[in-house]
Amino acid sequence: MVDRLERLTDLVLVLLRDERPKPLREIAAEVPGYPAEGEARRQAFERDKRTLRAGGVEITASPIDGPEQVGYLIRPDDFYLPDLDLTPDEQAALNLAVAGVHLGDPSGRDALWRLGLPASAGVRPFADLAALPALPVLYDAVRHRATVTFDYRGDRRHVAPALLRFRGGWWYMVGFDLDKEASRTFRVDRMDGEATVGEPGSAVVPDSFDPAAAHPEETWRMGEEEAVSVDVLVDAGLAPLVVAEVGQSTVRQRRDDGAVVVRLEVTNVAMLRSWVLELGEHAEVLGPESVRGAMVSWLEATAAGTTERAVD
Amino acid sequence: MPQRAEAGYRLHRLLAVLTWLARQGRAPVSELADRFGLSPDELIADLELAACCGLPPYTPDQLMEIMVDDEEVVANLGPELARPRRLTAAEGFALVTAARAIEAVPGTDPDGSLARGLEKLETVLGDRGRLRIDLGEPPFLAELRQATEDGAQIELGYYSASSDEESLRVVDPLNVVTLDGRWYLDGYCHRAGDMRRFRVDRVLSVTATGKTVPHPGPDGAAEDGSEHRTPDVGEAAFVPGPDATVARVAVDDAALWLVDALPHLDIDPLPDGRTVIGLAVASTVWFDRLLLRLGPHAEVLDPPELMASGRQAALRLLARYQGGH
Repeated sequence: MVDRLERLTDLVLVLLRDERPKPLREIAAEVPGYPAEGEARRQAFERDKRTLRAGGVEITASPIDGPEQVGYLIRPDDFYLPDLDLTPDEQAALNLAVAGVHLGDPSGRDALWRLGLPASAGVRPFADLAALPALPVLYDAVRHRATVTFDYRGDRRHVAPALLRFRGGWWYMVGFDLDKEASRTFRVDRMDGEATVGEPGSAVVPDSFDPAAAHPEETWRMGEEEAVSVDVLVDAGLAPLVVAEVGQSTVRQRRDDGAVVVRLEVTNVAMLRSWVLELGEHAEVLGPESVRGAMVSWLEATAAGTTERAVD
Repeated sequence: MPQRAEAGYRLHRLLAVLTWLARQGRAPVSELADRFGLSPDELIADLELAACCGLPPYTPDQLMEIMVDDEEVVANLGPELARPRRLTAAEGFALVTAARAIEAVPGTDPDGSLARGLEKLETVLGDRGRLRIDLGEPPFLAELRQATEDGAQIELGYYSASSDEESLRVVDPLNVVTLDGRWYLDGYCHRAGDMRRFRVDRVLSVTATGKTVPHPGPDGAAEDGSEHRTPDVGEAAFVPGPDATVARVAVDDAALWLVDALPHLDIDPLPDGRTVIGLAVASTVWFDRLLLRLGPHAEVLDPPELMASGRQAALRLLARYQGGH
């Protein structure tokens, strides 16, 4: 009885050695441990293929002459990376990076294993980036310039992705919406179901598209409403923290008591409202009247304790 | 590699060991086992198995040349096994993300060894700047990182949102971490007499006291053997204390996005289409502000003493709007 690990190891070595596809009959003759004949042998081989694929080793089926018609091989390009030529200090830096950043699964360590750079233990992670299952798929799409199709807030979206971005605790995909013909930013955690990725090279964006400019910096700029300048008064206690967050350039007025008025460009009033309310009684929307009035209506509805959707 | 079929995982690990051995030629058993998270016995079993693998006709000259004794592994495996292997999508993403995250830490040398290694990696992966990480840089981050590194005790000016108070407290800084997009300082707070996690963007001032603090060991335990342990980065930033009240809040779909980001205890659908969430309320200030943000889309179902919180908070804030400015 041959250990399955032994059979898998031999299978990889045999399929890597020959660059021509080999029929299963020939493989089974060379790799010890397969059942002698027929369906059992086929099933054992299919199972090995799946196991290898789950481990990142792709066996390719290819048509051949002869009675079996199909042969199998591992393409060297599917198995090897070009040599990275990493210097020892570069290897050490990548090791430290993987040890220091927690992503919720061992993929980083697996990557180091595949590159032949096993990490040593002893470094405590200092960063946790809330990785999501969809991210590797989207990352592949971005790298290969492939279109992505997914459901988002009830709509089917077709997007040429340009950039994956982590900011403020959320992952975003920045891209060119092929239906709306405009740049759009999507929260990855709000995509519904699995994204479908097109062929490499299928994502074509206009030359004028600038992904860096497409991503709005603040939540209240993540909307498609007509831009409005909103003045917010922040009391002295929280003023330094708020100015650090929104930037000195937004300060319109510094009052004698230490309070500040900041002016924010808003395309998503609901997000602005949520941000202001997080400051509790230490902040107040001064104007314009439309936004201040909406805030008062919101508070009145909240104070009335109605759960009807009176506002929004 | 989401599915770790046992044999597939063992093969993945064995190939990694062989890649390392193909490059190094020889390695102490204990070091090799440590690097790959194996016991020495497991390692030796895998290597003895590998020594029986090779190419047909499996005569000794066609088998992998691996010699194992209790102390050391010696191998002569040829150049093919030494080559780096292709990364899965998840692995490529994880490695580039980790490197980009370190680069995003303010103060990282943009031309250092990490940047050079990352550039080589991205050239091979075809990435070139298609993944960007922004960890933010609150005003006192650099001072706090420096104090942590130096083991310098500090006096911290801090705004606590849960008590809505500014305070000055002496803190032994132990670790600066970034979690879900925010920077935190973990340290021993002398005012509280316990470990605390502080949001760096709420720090108002940092002053050195002139005293030094012992560095935490690798497992987070203080080196002086005291009972204080630095939490792991992934540990929840908010852990409900024993005296926290559990509130049950019904929210409709329009408010779910806001609730998603909260550390809720449980979440259940209601027959009327709304969702009820359980929240640990350690601070009524925090809870009031949450209810203001949820507005008319939320209703506190329980406990009775919190049922009017949102209404009252809204009335207080309305008074400000109606009082002029």
